Amino acid sequence: METVEQTKLRLLREAVHDNLETVTGIKNKARARRKHPGHLWLWLPLLLLGLGYFELPTIGISRGNAPVPHLAQLPLKPSLSANDNALAEADVAVSTPRPLSRAVVPLSIKTIVIDPGHGGKQTGAISDSGVAEKEITLDVALRLHRLMEKAPFEVFLTREADQTIPLEKRVTFANSKNADLFVSIHVNWMEPRDIRGPETYFVGPSDDPATLNIASIENKESIYSFTDYRRILEKIYVDTRREESRRLAKSIQTELYQSLRQTNPAVENRGVKMAPFVVLVGTQMPAILVEISCLSNDDEVKLLTNADYREKIALALLKGIRSYANKLNGPDRKGS
Amino acid sequence: MDDANETLCIGIDLGTSRSSISGSNGERHVIDSYVGWPVDMVARKLIKKSVLIGREAVENRSMLDLRRPLERGIIKEGSGKDEEAVQEILRHLISLIGIKQKGKARPKVRAVVGVPAEAFRVSKQRLRRAMEGIADSVMLVSEPFAVAYGLEALLHALVIDIGAGTADFCVMQGRYPTEEDQRTLPNAGDSIDEQLASLIREHHPEAQFSIHMIREWKEKSSFVGEAKERVIVTVPIKGKATDLNITDEMRAACESILPPICETMTDLLSKVEPEYQEKVRNNVILAGGSSLIAGLADAIQKSLMELGGGRATVVKDPVFAGSDGGLAIARDASSSDWEKLSL
Repeated sequence: METVEQTKLRLLREAVHDNLETVTGIKNKARARRKHPGHLWLWLPLLLLGLGYFELPTIGISRGNAPVPHLAQLPLKPSLSANDNALAEADVAVSTPRPLSRAVVPLSIKTIVIDPGHGGKQTGAISDSGVAEKEITLDVALRLHRLMEKAPFEVFLTREADQTIPLEKRVTFANSKNADLFVSIHVNWMEPRDIRGPETYFVGPSDDPATLNIASIENKESIYSFTDYRRILEKIYVDTRREESRRLAKSIQTELYQSLRQTNPAVENRGVKMAPFVVLVGTQMPAILVEISCLSNDDEVKLLTNADYREKIALALLKGIRSYANKLNGPDRKGS
Repeated sequence: MDDANETLCIGIDLGTSRSSISGSNGERHVIDSYVGWPVDMVARKLIKKSVLIGREAVENRSMLDLRRPLERGIIKEGSGKDEEAVQEILRHLISLIGIKQKGKARPKVRAVVGVPAEAFRVSKQRLRRAMEGIADSVMLVSEPFAVAYGLEALLHALVIDIGAGTADFCVMQGRYPTEEDQRTLPNAGDSIDEQLASLIREHHPEAQFSIHMIREWKEKSSFVGEAKERVIVTVPIKGKATDLNITDEMRAACESILPPICETMTDLLSKVEPEYQEKVRNNVILAGGSSLIAGLADAIQKSLMELGGGRATVVKDPVFAGSDGGLAIARDASSSDWEKLSL
């Protein structure tokens, strides 16, 4: 039998371990920044490369097949000629932008913003029985947040309560947090009512009237002017992050469908689609919008009112994110 | 395990309404969790300080940009000013127990800070950041766990820490509490204030009062069950000081937190191993400022009757139970543990 003192010692060890888990990640990042301020010469080429990755493809429209510069071909020390070279590379890229291979710039996922759709005065869709989209999205987002506490990500929610938050603020919030991923959670409303099942969107144009209709409904809360919207829309066609968004969307959709199918055999896989949702257009990181279910279908509503089912959805979202992040940090990274 | 004079261990209960600190040098203090900055040059000249904290801030609120920076026991989201305000509170608490922030003689500060049982990891990280420059090492523990540790109620006990922002539950089963052992409810002191204000407004629409007056009335006269005496308050109605009997409103507001608290308590008890449930039912411990509501322990004990009976007691010193528990943890943790948790 353990004495009180022994129990205390064990509890303290566990408390310290729990704290170390909380500290992991954020401390390393902060320290790394502080400890190496003088190594700018080492970072500058990478910075230029990063700019090439994120900015150059947004300048041009055409998507040619220009060769991608390999990391080893870039100079390590910045000089006038190096800058000239970088500019020359930029000229090439302007006319022939294409996404860089993941192997060139190893990326990793550190910060994730979860966006529970709607909230406050903006209820979103409401089922015939009175279940509001804003309640389901918040519940699933909070569950996902809780599940992610043990994952090695720093996670932020755009809202943690029933608040009205404009779409633009959600976008600004995600951008200000320098998030690596943005996951917006919604619940669909579809006619005819027998449609059910999840679908996941990433940013891009769409000719499908049904998709455009959903986008216009979800974008209702936007206050962007037409000019603003056109300007940001123009960017999306050449935005490299779109490819990463597509991969993330695919990963989440796969996990969601496979997981829900086990308890809900009637669920349909409505697939991965492109649509110009405001929250996907304005964000600067890979971003997806997932419609986890359909409030227009009574059977889906019944399932959504079950906490275990919502937990299952949250878990599937976590698996999807994790699977995407693992692929990003795993085999591709080794190849670099 | 307090390293002579070079190290000072402290326990902090950072509360939405009040924050307390207990130090290994024997000092204990409690302050109102308010911070205020003078709104303009005139206010600064009158106040003669760049920042006011605690009661002083509340009393001079008309001249201040007054902040109550903690919400549900954690730093409010989205405001740098609130983060700054929390740092002011922490600095003030540290100075109250005699630690100067500057100078060579400053001891190493090892701090244990209580956070709500279900606080998000991000919230904990923000709090750790806020402690930078204030303490040398920081350990964050759930508030009810700190209370349990301080009371050595480590086995077969249920601690309910009812503060202003949250009611935190923790079943102690001889292990560091997991998610399943803990719950956090938003039904606590602040929700009573809101309820009381709404009821008074409904029954006496012409009465003028502020949330600060509501809090004072509650702290003086809160109760559940039978009223021992009428609750009479004086408020201006159309500018004229008028006595109002708010006994029924006070009872209704205070009793509004009982159903969710009892429901959560029942839920947690039902998850304890069957052979130990009776032991835990007989060891329900109430802490936190709102546990001082008259009749609360009896009302909780009454609800335990439905489960086969039990015993609920209020800790001797509810206001300091959390910080004293934090201090006990800080003292018991080894130097190597503290090194791992350095800021």
